Amino acid sequence: MPNVITCYKWVIDEADIRAGGGGALSFEQAGRKISEYDRNAIEAAVQICEQQGGSVTAISLGGPEVKSSAKDALSRGPERAILALDPAFANADSQTTALGLTAAVKLAGAYDLIVCGEGSGDVYAQQVGPRLAELLGIPCITFAGKLTVTATGVVAERKLDDGVEVVEAAFPVLVTVLPDVAKPRIPSLKQVMGAAKKEVKVVDAAALGLAGDALAARFETKALKAPASNRKQVKVANPVALAEAIAGAVR
Amino acid sequence: MFTLTEQQELIRNLVREFAVSQVAPIACEIDDEARWPAETIKAMTALDLMGIPFPEQYGGSGGDYLSYIITVEELSRACASTGVILSAHISLAGAPIYQFGTEAQKQQYLPDLAAGRKLGAFCLTEPAAGTDAASQTTVAELDGDDYVLNGGKCFITNGDHAETFIVLAMTDKAKGTKGISAFIVEKAFAGVSVGKHERKMGIRAAHTTEVLFRNARVPKANLLGKEGDGFKIAMVTLDGGRIGIAAQALGIAQASLDESIKWAKERQQFGKPIAANQAIQFMIADMAVQVQAARHLVYHAATLKGEGKPYSKEAAMAKLFAAETAMQQSIKAVQIHGGYGYIKGTTVERLMRDAKITEIYEGTSEVQRMVISASVLR
Repeated sequence: MPNVITCYKWVIDEADIRAGGGGALSFEQAGRKISEYDRNAIEAAVQICEQQGGSVTAISLGGPEVKSSAKDALSRGPERAILALDPAFANADSQTTALGLTAAVKLAGAYDLIVCGEGSGDVYAQQVGPRLAELLGIPCITFAGKLTVTATGVVAERKLDDGVEVVEAAFPVLVTVLPDVAKPRIPSLKQVMGAAKKEVKVVDAAALGLAGDALAARFETKALKAPASNRKQVKVANPVALAEAIAGAVR
Repeated sequence: MFTLTEQQELIRNLVREFAVSQVAPIACEIDDEARWPAETIKAMTALDLMGIPFPEQYGGSGGDYLSYIITVEELSRACASTGVILSAHISLAGAPIYQFGTEAQKQQYLPDLAAGRKLGAFCLTEPAAGTDAASQTTVAELDGDDYVLNGGKCFITNGDHAETFIVLAMTDKAKGTKGISAFIVEKAFAGVSVGKHERKMGIRAAHTTEVLFRNARVPKANLLGKEGDGFKIAMVTLDGGRIGIAAQALGIAQASLDESIKWAKERQQFGKPIAANQAIQFMIADMAVQVQAARHLVYHAATLKGEGKPYSKEAAMAKLFAAETAMQQSIKAVQIHGGYGYIKGTTVERLMRDAKITEIYEGTSEVQRMVISASVLR
């Protein structure tokens, strides 16, 4: 009966982002949601424990607004949540996130398997999973499109550009997953209501032992802009002229 | 005024996700074929949607009333037929049993309804007793330990798939409305049958049939309330049902706005999207205001009911306004779509057909005005 941890990021719902003049982006009306691949990760973790027993702990890290993610995450099946919340985590980069998660994982107690999404829905840096594994000193399997849990470890099918690689690892292990691994369920109304009764542990950066360099920004966002797309209504006389116009535009 | 709780938002999200992924994609097809969406009902059962406002001790989900209303709204936004199937099941069948049933009746009937194992329907309307619901000709006569029902009901939502009916019938014609009684009737009882299926203008996937009683024997224990309570039970039930229909109308109105915005941005004429025209912009602005106003009335009525406060006038206001909003906005949505909006298979032509019924059933708009004026002129 594996003890499984699943990590998720509470990201801005990209459907709500509005682009204004000059590519300016407005996040004012944007809601938040669990990052897409992380939903697959949560579902994979929950399915493993539904089939084999064990329990799932969901962990997230971010600014104070991440608190409202707990019921959403818990309605999807995990038994408990640990939220690492601190204003200093609001724009945490991959390293800070991995450091915070490492401390949070230690609070969760003994574990066999950690399942993360391959990358987050906002920046998709694919950094946190491998960094977390490194910091915990456990093996990491990335790009898992299929995940099977045995009595002592996991077998994962890694979907790579040039084929599928099947790898095994003994517990404890961290796996980052692709959407194919498990289709997220729509939680039922009773699961949503039941989520309010589950345990949520909230810790801040100090409680996790993070300060100074660990929290220092390693990069700075200079600007965020929407890609510009203009509809150019070019009229051409014949197919040859069309081909030339396209070739010219592509060049 | 209405800030949803975190839980209500999550419930709305789950229903919206379900509606977008599983209800909307088949809405056009089931409308066209007038096909009962059995697969949707099964999925709604798995999501605990069939008994939202009933306590867990009766097999319900223990949700709040507004969450139920938001559920009907979101389902109807994708498919108004699906919305009314749920509204009739919960508001018109489960609710009167929960509100007026004995403990034994609740234990016997609510768990199956709330868990979606059985579907419910409400049998009040007769060919000659529509708005004049007091002119019931279905009779119930006591014979030993049973009432024997004879008569025919028409326009019964869920009529063919329901297994549990709330039936209104005359037990004492001399007493007029005070001679009407309500019964819980199982389809399995001898003498109960489903008659003609109606072919309708809209909400075609929600089946509407006759339900007939020929010497149907209903145990005395299935009398809901006391003899003569039927008319009151029916009126109170319809008060609640109106909020469900208001939510259905709200969903249709919201969908009309959604489709109009999408189309106005996509559709190019004279080298620019039609949304660049002030005529379209103003139409959409007006639609957005009407929809939001309707939402406030509907949520307000639902909140009052959920809090156990009087809500009869507010339910009538919500139903009247939301129904007229659905009708008007769906007409505008077709107008914005131009010729495309008149073609079968587009969402807006369905919305316009579906909207009309909300001004008619569970009390016409004229009846709502009677209820409202009687309340404010008192």
